[in-house]
Amino acid sequence: MKFRDTELLSSYLDGQLSPSESARLESRLSSDANLRSVLNDLREARGVLRQLPARKAPRNFTLTRQMVGLKPPLPRAYPTFRFATALATLLLVVTFAVNALGPSLKYSAAAPAPAYGLGGAPCQACGGGGAAESLNAATEAPTELPAVQAPAATELPPAAQSIVMPTATPALAAADSTRQSETATPKEAPTEAAPLDHFQQTTAPAATLVPAAWQVGLAIVGLLSGLIAFFMYRSAKQKWK
Amino acid sequence: MDELALITSAQRGDLDSFNTLILNYQDMVFNTALRILGDDELAADASQEAFISAFRSISTFRGGSFKAWMLRTVTNACYDELRRQKRRPTIQLEPETEDGEEMDSPRWLADPGMTPEQKAEADDLEHAIQHCLDSLPAEFRAVVVMADIQGLDYTEVAQAARVPLGTIKSRLARARLRLRECLQGFWELLPATFRLNEENIA
Repeated sequence: MKFRDTELLSSYLDGQLSPSESARLESRLSSDANLRSVLNDLREARGVLRQLPARKAPRNFTLTRQMVGLKPPLPRAYPTFRFATALATLLLVVTFAVNALGPSLKYSAAAPAPAYGLGGAPCQACGGGGAAESLNAATEAPTELPAVQAPAATELPPAAQSIVMPTATPALAAADSTRQSETATPKEAPTEAAPLDHFQQTTAPAATLVPAAWQVGLAIVGLLSGLIAFFMYRSAKQKWK
Repeated sequence: MDELALITSAQRGDLDSFNTLILNYQDMVFNTALRILGDDELAADASQEAFISAFRSISTFRGGSFKAWMLRTVTNACYDELRRQKRRPTIQLEPETEDGEEMDSPRWLADPGMTPEQKAEADDLEHAIQHCLDSLPAEFRAVVVMADIQGLDYTEVAQAARVPLGTIKSRLARARLRLRECLQGFWELLPATFRLNEENIA
């Protein structure tokens, strides 16, 4: 017997065949003993299953809010306060970071200044290098000599002076014609050093980039909004229970 | 409150409404899981999982038979459990009762190759039927449980199993034939009420 016939018999048993299909199958059943036997087998199997005792559930399967991860319905303003807390805290951390890193940032920003003010006196650490550079400049172009003399005359360390002076002096002697410009350089030197002095005067007092008042304000805003959000959540949870 | 109103309310997140639905369906869900898995504890766990999953995805229910939708959820939970068992097979060597005593006629002894004495030990008809159900492939078992034990019509079974109607017909016919063959071995265990004849079935 084909499996298609078994399928037809199974559907016939459940009344799933069309009237014409049922009539055709019934006529075959009346003449085919094998078909009737299979139908009987299917019927018996279905009957046994249908008479299986139904068991009661061993317990109630009702769900709790915790089981399904439900959260209490929070007020609409809750996310705003939570966001404000997070933002204020973040900004507060940023202000602390800016203030802490401020001096090093200032240093790196001021680093190119010595190159600008090589001719000026205040940069003692780079004075030697500046003198050496000026030395080369002096040998190549005696007209720049007065610019070299200016730092040497003010605060150059003795070692630097010893390097500068011997070579500078012959150059100075050889360049009598430049005396007039030499007299002019003391006037120019202070004018070149002036921007650096001004820069230092303006930056030195600014130790904290973000005022403390701002930090206090941010802390208060963060704390207040955090407290409000916390109490909102707690009261919503209590109501929910 | 009627079922549709409870479903609508549950879809809006009302857990109490969903719990009312659970109380209406928990016996059916548990019995389905029990017949697919063949173990009380596993069936209870799968039922619980099915209800949790059903609540989380109830927004996807778009009408039709809620019973079929619920059976699909529990069938999926049972398939998950069967897959877990396949990954981590556990063989119960010495099955015990709750009191710690060895079981007289453990279900796992009832296989087609066992002796008549052993067969006689399988004194529980329910165990014999369950044994035959367990011998079916999971997909066939689910179909026969939904159609013949839970009484769903073909359309509902197709909706629950997410397979075409033709596949349901084919699976059901094969499952019934295999069950009949398996039950032949236990036929002497069947009480008179189970010895069916054409008159009282038709």
